Amino acid sequence: MRGLLATGLVLCACAALAAGCGEARKADAAPAAKPKPTCAYRAGWQKLADKVRVPVYCPGWLPDPLTSQIGGRWNNINSVSKDRSWLESFVWQETGGGAAGGELHVNLRGYPGRTAIPTCRTGGSDSRDVACFRDPGQTFSANGITARLYRVNEDADTWHALLLWRKGGTLYTLSEHVAPPLTFDHVVRYLKRELASLELIRPA
Amino acid sequence: MKLTRRQFVVGTAAGAVGAAGIYELVDQFSGGSPQRAAGAVKLPEQHLLEGVRVVRDDGVEVLVPPLHHQILTARVAVDRSELANARVELERELAGLDDDYAPSPAGLGVTVAWGRPYFDRFVPAAARRLLPLDRRAGKPVLIDAERFPSDPEDTRLEQNHVAFLLRSDARDHIEDAAKRIRGTKLFDVTSVRRGFAGGGFDGEQSLPKQMAEAAQIPGADLIPETAELFLGFTSTQRAGMGPGGIANFETLGYVDLRGSDYFRHGTHMHLSHIHEDVEAWYLNFDFDERVATAFRPNLDVKQGTQTVRQGPQDVSSEADVRRDFHSSGRIGHSAPIQTTSRLLADHVGEDGTVFVKGTAIPVRADFNTLDNPFAWSERSDEVGVLPAAGVHFVVFNPTGDDFRRNRLAMDGHLPGGTIPFPPRGREQGFNSVLSTTHRQNFIVPPRRHRSFPLSEV
Repeated sequence: MRGLLATGLVLCACAALAAGCGEARKADAAPAAKPKPTCAYRAGWQKLADKVRVPVYCPGWLPDPLTSQIGGRWNNINSVSKDRSWLESFVWQETGGGAAGGELHVNLRGYPGRTAIPTCRTGGSDSRDVACFRDPGQTFSANGITARLYRVNEDADTWHALLLWRKGGTLYTLSEHVAPPLTFDHVVRYLKRELASLELIRPA
Repeated sequence: MKLTRRQFVVGTAAGAVGAAGIYELVDQFSGGSPQRAAGAVKLPEQHLLEGVRVVRDDGVEVLVPPLHHQILTARVAVDRSELANARVELERELAGLDDDYAPSPAGLGVTVAWGRPYFDRFVPAAARRLLPLDRRAGKPVLIDAERFPSDPEDTRLEQNHVAFLLRSDARDHIEDAAKRIRGTKLFDVTSVRRGFAGGGFDGEQSLPKQMAEAAQIPGADLIPETAELFLGFTSTQRAGMGPGGIANFETLGYVDLRGSDYFRHGTHMHLSHIHEDVEAWYLNFDFDERVATAFRPNLDVKQGTQTVRQGPQDVSSEADVRRDFHSSGRIGHSAPIQTTSRLLADHVGEDGTVFVKGTAIPVRADFNTLDNPFAWSERSDEVGVLPAAGVHFVVFNPTGDDFRRNRLAMDGHLPGGTIPFPPRGREQGFNSVLSTTHRQNFIVPPRRHRSFPLSEV
């Protein structure tokens, strides 16, 4: 898998010089050309929806090699708090140098029964309470969801670009780490593709 | 040699535009030299440029800096016994440049600055007698550079004999000047530093934005489209720059010229290189925090503003800085520096020029760079393979101690006492996203003594 990604990056770099980044073009064009992807690991997400007693969103697409399998090899955080807020984190990390190295990290969150942006405590010597998601920017609509992009985020979403939306009295977020091999703009393209692939899983 | 993805893309992109590398893109992005006033008067000062365009941005007057910048640092390559001839030869070349190019952005600005190692080694007796003294500090105006509290431990304090600052809207003017200076064979060049500034004020994509994206600097796509500098805020507000000859040795009375006019119209120059973590700046600081960090806490600025007023009426006093610190735990960047960099009272210069209270004293000439940290150096560890976002910071102050006071204030060391911060604390202005790699102080003699100063005395 690492080899595939590395090869893809080099190809992308080549293409960027001649005719634009093929990977990026594919990301933008894919939703219109193909049938909407669906949740490949429904069982885990259904279990989550049942536990938090509100609908949850399962991504039908994540950047390779990530999959949306809760409990799978890339799912490093599977957390439900007492207030039923939940966090599913999927991460791939390779510490090798050059094109082989990098990180892909996607977080999905839900805050059942609340629509206000939560408060986070910053670290460091000037630790203080701040909104967990800040610097709102443009909005994107896909898949019946209109989400706003937030650029400065805290805790597990630090250094992530984040999409935020509300539905049925619940606040949802989808974020991805801005880290090599991805630039911020590339992450936003990925987020838009992930947003378009979300499948709503209702509690049974 | 294996290339990383970024090396591959950047290397090929730079190669595609010619051997001059990534900096040639400046011409392509800027469409060549902008229209400027042609003629310019040759001033007795070397550090001042004529013909600088003034525009309004966000309702604030802004000075438009030259597009291209280059600094050569060097050691003198001749013996003391050859200085007289060397002085004549270098002056001939510099005068030739003066004849060929007006001292303006449209032409060429040449500033020759001399470091303490030159004075100590080549003209020690004359320097002891004639180098100006700083009355406030009780020291020479030229003092060794130091590491400041927020500097990394490995910041290099340089010992160059001389620095040539070349500024122009036309890159070929700069290349011509560099070639002619090197052609004298009077110097062993120790480093070459390049960069760019400006663009974006007329609504087009700015040069720092375009250059950062071309070089694939981390965070490049987060830089606002028209930002004057990588960090997104304009820094050349007219009211934030020292006017005219305010930084001259003789203007503010800070300097004892030792009963001689030799250094009248001269000044002090500090040169440093600073890495900037652009991605951290935009991903960890929201807009309000960026304003509070770059300027001062509790400043109400409309979202997305790039040019913030910095006039005398906007200056923070030390009491303001302390009050802001108590209410927010922060001091910002401009506000603490203003406690030492602005006039505390109206001042009438010796030529009758009136400088009102709150006027800025330092004359800045800093520019963005992709050097990592230098474009070329005699030391191999000073030329990184990958481009890196940064700034070559150039500033003219009346004395080295005056610069020192300003830089210490930036770290919370105010005239009335220190506000304690952890090194490079986030609440201490820009420091958490800046990293200084090199520093050195220089004297900029007046134009008439710019070539091997004091060698004729």
